[in-house]
Amino acid sequence: MARSSTLRNISWLWLAATLAVLVVGFRQAIFVAPMEETMGNLQRIFYYHLAHAILSLIFPYVNVAASLAYLYWRHRDPLKALGADALAVASAEVTVLYAGICLATGVLWGKPAWGIWWTWDARLTTELILWLLYVSYLLLRRFSPSGQTGVLSAVLAVFAAIDVPIVFMSIRWWRTQHPAPVFGPEGGGIDPAMAPAVLWNLAGWAMWGIFLIGFRFALERRRQIAEQEAALLALEASLETPQ
Amino acid sequence: MRYITYVLDHLRKDLRLEWRSRDSINGMLFFVLLMVVVFSIAFDPAGYPTVTRQISGGILWVGLLFASMTALNQSWTREQRNQVLEAQRMAPSPASALFVGKAIANMLFVLAVEAVLAPIFVVFFNLHVLGNAWLLALILPLGTWALVVNGTFFAALGLRARNRELLLPLILLPLSLPAVLMMVQATTGVLTGELDPIYIRSWITQLAGYDIIYTAVCILLFETVLNAE
Amino acid sequence: MTWQTFFDFSTMAHRHLVFVYGGVIATQLVYLGWIARNWNRTSGR
Repeated sequence: MARSSTLRNISWLWLAATLAVLVVGFRQAIFVAPMEETMGNLQRIFYYHLAHAILSLIFPYVNVAASLAYLYWRHRDPLKALGADALAVASAEVTVLYAGICLATGVLWGKPAWGIWWTWDARLTTELILWLLYVSYLLLRRFSPSGQTGVLSAVLAVFAAIDVPIVFMSIRWWRTQHPAPVFGPEGGGIDPAMAPAVLWNLAGWAMWGIFLIGFRFALERRRQIAEQEAALLALEASLETPQ
Repeated sequence: MRYITYVLDHLRKDLRLEWRSRDSINGMLFFVLLMVVVFSIAFDPAGYPTVTRQISGGILWVGLLFASMTALNQSWTREQRNQVLEAQRMAPSPASALFVGKAIANMLFVLAVEAVLAPIFVVFFNLHVLGNAWLLALILPLGTWALVVNGTFFAALGLRARNRELLLPLILLPLSLPAVLMMVQATTGVLTGELDPIYIRSWITQLAGYDIIYTAVCILLFETVLNAE
Repeated sequence: MTWQTFFDFSTMAHRHLVFVYGGVIATQLVYLGWIARNWNRTSGR
């Protein structure tokens, strides 16, 4: 592909910029941001946790958009559909990664900070179910027969997209009747002195997530092309067999 | 109204097939009875009567959830024998009619199991309903439909997959979680009588909303799944 | 915090903080490494 060297250069530049932003974010979070009164330095986990939490709610939308695009292009433009499918699986894997890290950092922050490992409130439960849904998406892709992977997983992605808001609303309603402990700051209320650390880390991890999705997308496209070439070889070989 | 004719045809076919072997219903009934026994050993209903009433809603729905999954995979495998599924694809009737017919059939099977299960539950758990028992006649079908509509759809989705029996719960359970919350909260509210009727009504409304949304999505997407190859 | 206090692992709270930050970075790098390994394994143009 003639474009590939430009793309490669852009990718390397993006990676360099991402790492720079992440380093700044690290410095902001650990050294510059003020220490919190009640929790001390432990609260600095929040900067990584919040970045991953917010991004884990954005990447699923990339997956849903890609899945819908796949379903739309499936019969109209198969080449574009393949690209959409590759984007869908890339964003699903990165969603699982980010949601998993969000849950793990939340648990590890929650125990020392609030004394409990977990609580079934609206935010945490929704995050857990989001993670479960996308793990089931990846499992479906692995277990499905090879021709149908794209279609079946795209359908599941649509269901998952509808389910997440329903989960959030139903559990929030449940918790107004049966209150339970809540992790983390309610609503807004981030000290403005902490804002630079939050924003730098959010930007850094967002750029990193985009880089990962791009890299994973490229890998998937590579695999698709390799598969197509193998299929073409097999077809040609069958044509050469004397009848 | 031809659509309804198609649905009824598919429904009749499934009911007739099931009546001839009675595999699913017998399997489900025995499974659910065993689950009640296991839960009784696990939670000791006689020793903790108040707690038992509070958790019996949850136990009922968990038992039904797992029992219905044992039957759901089977409901589609009978379409695979004798290449029936290919014939369905080529038939001029809309694919969603097949889905709706089968979902209604599964619903009837699970409702039949529930009808047998309810007295067993009352006996083994010494339950008497403290709230308005007639609401259960509304909650049980709504909750069952929520499980069955998604279950039938995803059983069809995983039809050609390897590890099909494992795949169905892995996909179905996360998606059904909000519905399970709604049905358990409504049922427990009625059984314990501790919940304000306005809350019970809100849970029932949410459950109805869930049913409508997911039935619509399943009907719209079934054709895509059936023609996935 | 300063560089000196950053490397002072005497308090559990601080060990905890460094452990979590290290864990997040390590997990992300593992995923990146997985993609890179598969990139080399897939033949492509």
